[in-house]
Amino acid sequence: MRFLRVRKDHAAAALIAAIGACVAGLGLTYQMGTLNQMGAGFMPVVYGVLMVIVGAAIGLTARRPSESSTAPLETRTATGPEWRGWLCIVASVVAFVVLGSHGGLVPATFVCVFVAAQGDRNNTWRSSSALAAIVLVFTVAVFHYGLQVQLPLFQWL
Amino acid sequence: MPHSLTDLWYGFTVALQPGNLMWSVFGVLIGNLIGVLPGMGALTTISMLLPLTYVIPPVPAVLMLAGIFYGSQYGGAIGAILLNLPSHPPHAVTCLDGYPMTLAGRGGAALGITMMSSFFAASFGILVMIFVSPLLVQVAFKFGPTEICAIMLLGLIAGATMSRGAPLKGLAMTLFGLLCGAVGTDVISGTLRYNFSMTELADGVELGALCMGLFGVADFLMSINRVKVKPTNAHVSMKDMRPTRNEMKKAFWPMIRGTMVGTLFGAMPGTGPTITTFIAYAIERKIAKDPTRFGHGAIEGVASPEAASHSKTQVDFIPTMSLGIPGDAVMALLLGALIIKGVQPGPQLITEHPDIFWGLIASFWIGNVLLVILNVPMIGVWVRMLRVPYKFLYPTALLFICIGVYTTKNSLFDVGEVAVLGVLGAVFLALEFPVSPIVLGFVLGPMLEENFRRAMLLSHGELSVFVAHPISATFLGFSLLLLLGQLYAYIRKVRLPRVRARGNVLANSRH
Repeated sequence: MRFLRVRKDHAAAALIAAIGACVAGLGLTYQMGTLNQMGAGFMPVVYGVLMVIVGAAIGLTARRPSESSTAPLETRTATGPEWRGWLCIVASVVAFVVLGSHGGLVPATFVCVFVAAQGDRNNTWRSSSALAAIVLVFTVAVFHYGLQVQLPLFQWL
Repeated sequence: MPHSLTDLWYGFTVALQPGNLMWSVFGVLIGNLIGVLPGMGALTTISMLLPLTYVIPPVPAVLMLAGIFYGSQYGGAIGAILLNLPSHPPHAVTCLDGYPMTLAGRGGAALGITMMSSFFAASFGILVMIFVSPLLVQVAFKFGPTEICAIMLLGLIAGATMSRGAPLKGLAMTLFGLLCGAVGTDVISGTLRYNFSMTELADGVELGALCMGLFGVADFLMSINRVKVKPTNAHVSMKDMRPTRNEMKKAFWPMIRGTMVGTLFGAMPGTGPTITTFIAYAIERKIAKDPTRFGHGAIEGVASPEAASHSKTQVDFIPTMSLGIPGDAVMALLLGALIIKGVQPGPQLITEHPDIFWGLIASFWIGNVLLVILNVPMIGVWVRMLRVPYKFLYPTALLFICIGVYTTKNSLFDVGEVAVLGVLGAVFLALEFPVSPIVLGFVLGPMLEENFRRAMLLSHGELSVFVAHPISATFLGFSLLLLLGQLYAYIRKVRLPRVRARGNVLANSRH
């Protein structure tokens, strides 16, 4: 368990340092300027360099044997990766974006809720569609008619 | 002072006129209802209802928008505590201890405390505004870019060091947030930064998308198929929803302290409710006898930030109105609405449009009373929302998030940002990074950079100017103290056990 946590912190450190390096690298392509007249790239490079330093620090201090206080909230069990759930949640947001412009509010709403609900193992096709239908009615009533949200019910672009 | 009282009386007469009162009530109600919906916050609501203000006169327009604002604050607190979804960035802090309280079954109590803190703080803030407005305006004039920069640095460091988990990771997240804030068009030079050739990013990442992605979607990703079914209580009476006397006692002083913090920061231009809540939380954590309770349901962590946020909101209207410097995005929207109506914010607003200024102050108090009346019986309804099985709750919330983010700028691209940020947020959470400092960095980043550059321009590149100005030097001093404090705590935690261990080995080897 302790070994695992050290590896996690090393991965964390590597991620931060990598982001920092990319940021600084990209930032250098913008004008740096002088302290007196800073260009667009000055602060981003500063941020990037600082991130690399902090990343290194995280990696170096990763030898903490005690538990970190960022233990996941008690109701979550620490099981393996949830590919089905993750895929469905991300896909539902993407579906909303895609269907929002190539279908309209109605298909976007229904598919978004349906796909998201399918991510949960306890949802059947029936329960997901029922939920999607209820939410659809609510959405059309409140958001379209009530609040005049600027997304047509149906549209083909 | 007597002058202020007559002005206030005048304000009440304005606010209580049927036409104005009606719009004010409308704003408060809508704000509260929409603030509770996950994915909707003050920003979204105000942007959706802004067109309404074009057709009504300035006074009721401002009253309505203000009503929406703090109505949604109440609602946002509800969302933050019960669902871990902050619709408004300052509520990100309330999630930290509010949500664990809900998980422990004390969500109703947390809401009750929030309401009390908010009402108390709002009332106090109004009193402050009445008696201190002229003074505050004078102090505000002394704040130049150097001071604003220093205070933001303090806020960022406080935010980084106080979040759940290792301060180093908090720092990393703050930097990431600063970075997100840098995406887009650089204000001073006009260069497009980090937009990866996507023109939609020219205006930067959308704040609502950031919050909803990092808190909402990331949490869903972490919780899906992993949430244990909580045994539901057969009887959930009103008694469960009221905070116990012990809880109220524990929350009293944090409430007072939070109000003080909020009032202090309210007077300063350029600071928003977000820094204020973070600093209030940090203070509570630092002076608590047992800091490890924080992040797991410490009532002080809910009472203080909420009080700070509400008192800050009231007092914040002063620099927004009298100097035209908005503290955060919502204030900026309000300012924009005023300008559209032809009312020029500035020092002359108080004298030229006393009906707007004092009517607004009076309507705050009326609105807060209304909110308490509305919400106390409704706590039961909100808590019952929790009974909805998670498998139904999260898809609905996801949809509201999509729609909510969409309506801010009528942009589906922003909704796409939610997905991206959600995945990023989940990765960070899995690696045990705290996500809240990202919001702080994002909101403060542009202002920090702008003021830093301005300060450097004014001082011709002399960094020493930060120490030369007394106010900024003070804030820098506090930042340094915070950092040193963290270092000291770290050394104590790591070195001391090692020294003791060595001592034990030595002692054992002697025998």
